[in-house]
Amino acid sequence: MTHEYWKWPESSRVYEDAGWKAPGEATAGVDIGTTSAQAAVMLGGRLLGYSNVRVGADFRKSAKDALDLAMAGTGAAPADLAAIAVTGFAKNSVDFASKAIDEVQCHAKGARFMYGPDVRTLIDMGGQTVKAIRLFDWDRVRDFMIGDKCATGEGRRIEVLCDIMHVGITEIGPKSLEAEKDPEPVSTTCWAFGGTETLGLFGRPEFRSPKMSEAEIYASYLFSIAWRIIGVAGRLSPLDVGKIEIDGTLGLTGGLAKNPGITARIERELGVKAAVSEYDPMLAGAIGAALLAR
Amino acid sequence: MDFKELVAGRHEYAKAWKARKGGKVIGWFETYFPEELAYAAGLLPVRILAEHEPDIISDKWIYAACYPVKDMANQLLLGRMDYIDGFVNTEGCQWMFNVYEVATNNAPQLFKHYLFLPDYTESKSSKDVLRSELDVLKTRFEEWLGVTITDEALDNAIEVYNKNRTLLRTICELRRADKPVILGSEFMNLLLADQVMDKAEMNVILEQFLAELQAREGRDMVRLMLIGSETWDSKLEELIESLGGNVVIDELENGTNYFWNNIYPQEDRLMAISLRYLGRNNHPVKDSNWRRRPQRIFELAEDYFVDGAIIAKQIYCHPHGTDNYEVWKILRERNIQYHYFERDMTVPKEETQLHLEAFMNMLRAGITRLVGWHNKIEI
Repeated sequence: MTHEYWKWPESSRVYEDAGWKAPGEATAGVDIGTTSAQAAVMLGGRLLGYSNVRVGADFRKSAKDALDLAMAGTGAAPADLAAIAVTGFAKNSVDFASKAIDEVQCHAKGARFMYGPDVRTLIDMGGQTVKAIRLFDWDRVRDFMIGDKCATGEGRRIEVLCDIMHVGITEIGPKSLEAEKDPEPVSTTCWAFGGTETLGLFGRPEFRSPKMSEAEIYASYLFSIAWRIIGVAGRLSPLDVGKIEIDGTLGLTGGLAKNPGITARIERELGVKAAVSEYDPMLAGAIGAALLAR
Repeated sequence: MDFKELVAGRHEYAKAWKARKGGKVIGWFETYFPEELAYAAGLLPVRILAEHEPDIISDKWIYAACYPVKDMANQLLLGRMDYIDGFVNTEGCQWMFNVYEVATNNAPQLFKHYLFLPDYTESKSSKDVLRSELDVLKTRFEEWLGVTITDEALDNAIEVYNKNRTLLRTICELRRADKPVILGSEFMNLLLADQVMDKAEMNVILEQFLAELQAREGRDMVRLMLIGSETWDSKLEELIESLGGNVVIDELENGTNYFWNNIYPQEDRLMAISLRYLGRNNHPVKDSNWRRRPQRIFELAEDYFVDGAIIAKQIYCHPHGTDNYEVWKILRERNIQYHYFERDMTVPKEETQLHLEAFMNMLRAGITRLVGWHNKIEI
């Protein structure tokens, strides 16, 4: 079988001793995105179980599978839950949830749970869209910006390049950081342009101009993605438009938050360190939805 | 009165008008077009509106323009508006100029005129320049139609158009109420119908509608202002309403900018018209010297008690966006919450809905009159 370089590790976990005996009190959140689906079950502010899986062709089935996986082996069923909220790109195609909530509110809520109350700027970097969110001191959204036009699909474009270049998706970030100095980013206009330009750089080394190492090419590619993300976040600057200033602690969520080639460049350009959490950053939307489900 | 139906039936209306009155129809693109002059010449001025239709033909003629412009070219080339006898384009958006060129190049028998309108609307010579341009247009209409545009005809046109704008302002004022009796989508359809119908006939309809509104009960919803590129239809307003919001005021070329200012009559009728069009609320490309539009946006937002503003720019719209920085700055400094996004008439509903839904949820959490002061902080 051909190796699937794009494939990121799926995961799930159930905390057996965390209160499944009273499932009627628990709530669940499902974040069904374009590329991945997550489910989280919460009770009394604690995470009881979660799952993080690849989305298939059927969004509704993928959402259901994610929820079932988050509850697998507990003896409880979705019907035992007090409420189920759904969020994400395909939220309106899911019919088993009691509520559909927009992604901005869910990620804000989830990020506060994961990173604590100091987070006032949040960047969610998913398979399809980038969302920058600014919060008040309390967990209410103050402002937000969503990436649009051709510059969407930042997560998916990394998967595509990994598959073409035969580099594992978990390896491309660390490899890009081996470059001594970041070269100029490839085209930041849209991911098709950026991808084509990168593939051009991988052509016969003797024709490369300037001569770039493999690490430098990855660095250039990931820097272009980070650059777009920073552009979206920059429009949220609290003090003055035109300047990029991060308000409070920065939280990063979504699949790209697990790529050090992206996060390190965002931190470097913004001059801040992002908060860290014990939870998978891809779970923020699902956790937020579960917290807002009632 | 179903204004949406009037807009949908605009082609049949224009054809029936021609049969009834035996007159000619003139198509126009920009709201800087001095309709009074056309009306005084006995023409029916009809605005070319864009639709959400799959574009099948315009790529051959116009590439990488905004979608509405491509759609207009598509409709014109497909012959949907073959009842139009001529086009006038006014200096402004470059893409609109492209459609005008495509339409007239493909039908050379049509009357065509390009009306220059100074970008610097407030310079010393602007009013005289536009007056002389209007004089040229007047002469061209007279030669084309074989008529003389008399002062009496101009006075009548100014009176009819002033009455129309006054009625529109009166209806628009009702949106300032705590519980507006008219929804944003209905008002937008009303405005679009106004731009494609005979104004004297429209005035009768507006008077009846105003009387109808007296008996209506209003609704309190999330009060929004809509800013940005022309919207061409009411789909955005309808989407907002389905999510519990209402556009109570706008700053759009096909919105309030179309009717806000009246003509102050004076003996030199062309100068009166010139002063009206130069003195109207500025379009971004006509605002590069003073940048008065951002301040006006703020004043409208304050006057109509908005909870937030949506700035929806059409992708590839070059006039809008040039003053984004100033608009964002003034709204941010004066604490009016806003959300900016770029839209395309072809952008899927889900994506646009996410922007609107998230923004309204953000606003709703802080609107005490809707959720109560004791409401928990949680969303």
